[in-house]
Amino acid sequence: MPADEPAQHVLDVRDLTVAYGGVAAVDHVCLHVRRGEVLALLGPSGSGKSTLLSAVAGFRPPTTGEVWLQGRRVADPGRAEPPERRDVAVVFQSYALWPHLSALDTVAYPIRRRGARRRPAREEALEILDRLRIAHLADRRPAELSGGEQQRVGLARALARQASLYLFDEPTAHLDTHVRGVFLDELVVRREASGAGGLYATHDAEEALGLADRVALLNAGRLVQLGTPEQVYAEPVDIWAAGLTGPASVVRAAVVAAHGGRCSVVVQGHRVTVEGTAATPGRDTVPLLVRPGWARLGGELTGRLRAARFRGPHSDHLVETSMGEVLIREPGPPRHAVGDDVPWTLSRIWPLQETAAPGGVAGPFLSRAQSRGRSDSRPR
Amino acid sequence: MQARSTDLGRRAAVLAVGTVIFLLVVLPVFRLGYVVWTEGSTQLDEVLGRPGLGEAVLNTVLLAVAVTVTAVPLGTLVALGLRRADVPGRGWWRFAMLLPVLVPQFVLGYSWTQAYGRAGFTDTILGLVWPSVLGPWGVWAVLVVNTVPLTYLFVAVGLATRAEPNLERAARASGGDPASVLRHVTLPLLRPSIAAASVLSFVLTMESFAIPQVMGTPAGFTTVTTTIYRDLSLGSDPLSFVEALTLALLLVALTVLVVIPADLWLGPRLRVTRVANPEGAPIVTPRGAAGRWIAAGLGGYLLLGVVLPLIALVTAAITPAVGVSPSPGNWTLDNFRFVVNARNAEALGRSALLAFAAAGLLTVLGGAVAVLERRRAGRVMASLVTVTLVLPGSTLAVALLITYGRWIGGTLTLILLAYLAKLWAFAHRPISGALDRLAAGEMQAARASGAKALTAVRTVALRPLAPALLGAWLICFVTALHEVTMSSLLYGPDSDTLAVVVLNSKELGRIGATAALSVLLTLVMLLPALPLWVLIRRLQSPRHPRAGGARSLAHAR
Repeated sequence: MPADEPAQHVLDVRDLTVAYGGVAAVDHVCLHVRRGEVLALLGPSGSGKSTLLSAVAGFRPPTTGEVWLQGRRVADPGRAEPPERRDVAVVFQSYALWPHLSALDTVAYPIRRRGARRRPAREEALEILDRLRIAHLADRRPAELSGGEQQRVGLARALARQASLYLFDEPTAHLDTHVRGVFLDELVVRREASGAGGLYATHDAEEALGLADRVALLNAGRLVQLGTPEQVYAEPVDIWAAGLTGPASVVRAAVVAAHGGRCSVVVQGHRVTVEGTAATPGRDTVPLLVRPGWARLGGELTGRLRAARFRGPHSDHLVETSMGEVLIREPGPPRHAVGDDVPWTLSRIWPLQETAAPGGVAGPFLSRAQSRGRSDSRPR
Repeated sequence: MQARSTDLGRRAAVLAVGTVIFLLVVLPVFRLGYVVWTEGSTQLDEVLGRPGLGEAVLNTVLLAVAVTVTAVPLGTLVALGLRRADVPGRGWWRFAMLLPVLVPQFVLGYSWTQAYGRAGFTDTILGLVWPSVLGPWGVWAVLVVNTVPLTYLFVAVGLATRAEPNLERAARASGGDPASVLRHVTLPLLRPSIAAASVLSFVLTMESFAIPQVMGTPAGFTTVTTTIYRDLSLGSDPLSFVEALTLALLLVALTVLVVIPADLWLGPRLRVTRVANPEGAPIVTPRGAAGRWIAAGLGGYLLLGVVLPLIALVTAAITPAVGVSPSPGNWTLDNFRFVVNARNAEALGRSALLAFAAAGLLTVLGGAVAVLERRRAGRVMASLVTVTLVLPGSTLAVALLITYGRWIGGTLTLILLAYLAKLWAFAHRPISGALDRLAAGEMQAARASGAKALTAVRTVALRPLAPALLGAWLICFVTALHEVTMSSLLYGPDSDTLAVVVLNSKELGRIGATAALSVLLTLVMLLPALPLWVLIRRLQSPRHPRAGGARSLAHAR
C-alpha cells in the first residue's frame, strides 16, 4: 500500500476550523501525519498551533471540519470524542506535571488507566523512566525536579500512553539529543507494530527543520506551506515563509532566463548564471530569496560591507549590493572592515511571490544582525 | 544614613502595630483567662453544674459538624459545576452564589421564619408549613445557606490556583475519564483548599450567634454563644456572669483545639510550590443538558435559600399585621413609618459611623501588617492577626468588656475596638494576597527607573493593589454593618447600632417592624456596596481584553 493512502495516516485533519467567539484561531486547515512520521507545526505565537493541537487532542471541538485518527473519525462539529478515548498522547508546554504525584506515579497513571494493576503499572513506568535515564528520580515530585528532568517525566508519561499519535505543544526547552533519540526510537518500534506519528508545535525554525520529516507553516490560523524541511527552507512560498524558516535576504533583480535548474540574473548590469528557477523570465525585477550559504565573499561582483558579526564557528557579513542587502556567512572571523568594498559571488536564488511587504533582509536572526551592524560605527 | 533611618522607621512601625495588637487582642484574652482562673475557681463546679450548659456545648459542636459536612460538599459541587463552560449564564451565577453573604445573618434567619414558619409566606399562600424552621433544623439549614458561598469561594480559588486546566487535560490525554480525573487529579489538588474551607466553616459555625439566636432560642435550642448573650443581657446573678466568662473561654479553647492541628497540617500544604505556569483552558464540551441542569439546581437553591425568604421578608414589611393576607390591596408602608423615627435614625447614624470608621482604620491596619509581615519581625504579627479570624466574637467581646469596660463600657469606642480586633484579619488577608501576587520585579524596575520608594508604590503598586484595598474596605464595612454578636453584648443606653435595634425589635416580637427594619438595614448596606463592587470588578478586569487575539480570548473564559 502506498504511504499516502489515508488508511496509512495516523492523523487526518480535514478542512478544520476552530473559532473563539467568531475569531478563527485555526482556519480551514488540511494536513495529515503518516505512520512513523514527525510533522512539525511551525509558526509564530498566535498562529494557531496550540489550538490545532487542542482540537486533535480533544480539548476543543472543531467549529467546522473533521479530525481522523488511525482512519477513524473522532471529531466533527456535531460530535467530539473526549481526549481519553482518542489514541493520542500529549507533551505539554510546561509539562503539566501533577504536583501531588511522584514521577513514578505520574508515569504509571496512563498505564493504570489502561486497566493495569498498580504493581505491573509501576514496573512498566520504572522501565520507561530508565529508558530516559531518570529512574533514580522516580520518587521525586515535580517541585523537586529541574526543568530538564520535568521534561523527561512529561515525555515518559506520554510514552506510557502507547498512543499512535504524540502531540508536542511547544515544549519550553528543546528536547535534548538523548530525549529526542528515545522518542524517535519509540516511533520506529511502534511503526513495526501498528504505526505511530508525532505532531510537534514550535516557533523555532531550527528545531522544526532538524526534528521533523515534514514541516507545516502556519500563519494566523492558515496553512501557508507544507513540505520537507529542505523544501520549506530552500523553496518557501513567500517572503513571510522565507523569514520564518531561517535567515533570509530578500533582494530584487530581474531573472532574464531560466533553464534546467539554472537561471540568469542581472546584477550590476551583468548577467550572472546561478542555481535557481523563475516562473516567467523577463526584464522586470522580482523579489528573490538568498540564503546565507547561497552567496560567498570573493569573486567578480562588488558590494559594501555594512555590518559584520563574529558568531563563533562563522561570521555573518551584511553586504550592500545593487540588488539590496545580502547576508553572507563565512567560516572564521570577519575578514573585512565595515565600510569596505568587498568582492562577492552569487551562487543560488529562489524567486518569491510578489507581496506587499518591501524587500530587504527578513527573519528575526537577521534583523538583529542588521540593526546591530548599523549602530556599530566604530572602526574595527 | 538613610538606610538606618528607614530601618528605624520600620522598627517603630512594627512596635506601634504590635502594641495595637497586644492591646486589642492579647491583653483582653489573657485578662479573660485570668479572671476565670481567679474568680471562677471557687464557683467553677457550680457553674459547670448549671442546667443546660452541657447541652449548649454539645449543640454547638454538633451544629458545627453538621453545617460543615453539608456546606463543604455543596460548595465544592457548586465550584466544580460553575467551572463548566456549558452552564448558561455562568458569570451571573458566580456572582449570584455570593449573594447570601450580602444579607445580614439575622436578616436571613428572620426571613426564613417569615417564609417557612407558621403563618409565614408558604403557609399563607400554599398552606405549606415547616414547623421545625424554628429549632436545630432551621438553624442548620440557614447556616448552610450562609456558609456555602464561603466554601464555594475557597474551592473556586483553589480550582483557579491549583487545578490548572493543563493538569486535567494531561490526565484526560493520559486516558483518564472525567470521574477518574476528578478522583486522582482534581480533588487531590483541591484537598488543602477543601480542608481550609472545612476548618473555617466549623469555626464560623461555632461562633455564629445571630442565626441560632433568631431561629434556635425561641424553640429552646441553645448554643454557647446564645447562652453567653442570655447570661450577660438577661442574667443578673454573679453566677451568670462567671458562666458567660467560662463559656467565652471554653469557646476559644474549642476553636484552638480544631484550628491548631488543622493549621499544622494545612500550613505547609497551602504553600504548595507551583511548577507549571497557569496555562490552557478547561476542556470544552459541546453544550448539553448537564449545563442546564447545573443552572437549574443553582437557581432552585438560591430561590429557596435566599430569594423566597427575602420576598417573604419584604411582604411581612408591607403587610399591616400577622394573619392579614399579603395581597396588593393590603399593602401599606405603616411598618416603615413606624420604624423611621429619631431613635432609629440615630442608631442608623451610629451604625454607619462605626462601619465607616472601622473599615477605614482596618484597611490601614490590615495594609500595615501586610507590608510589615514581609520582614521577619512582622511575621508573628501576621500570625496573630490571622488568629483573630477564628477568635469567637463572643469571646472577644467579653474579654474586651472585662478589660476596658470600667472606663469605656457601653460606649461606641468599645464597640469600635471590638470591630477592629475581630475584623483585622478580614482586611489583612486580601491585601496580603494582593501583595503576594505583585511581582517583585515590578517595584525593582520602578526603583531602577529612578522612582523613590513612595513614588514607586504610588505609580506601580497602587493600581494593581486597588481592587484588594477597596475589597478589604468593603468586606469590613459590610461585616461591621451586619455585626450583632459583639454589638449586642457591648452596647449601652446610647450606643445601640441598627443591627442591635433589629435584634431587639425581634425579641419584642414586633414582626412587621422587624421586617421593615431588616429591609432598611439591607438597603443601607447595598447603597455603598453595589457601586463599589462594580468598581472593583472593573479595576480587576484587564484593560484591553481583546488585545491578545484569539489566545487571550480563550484564556479569559
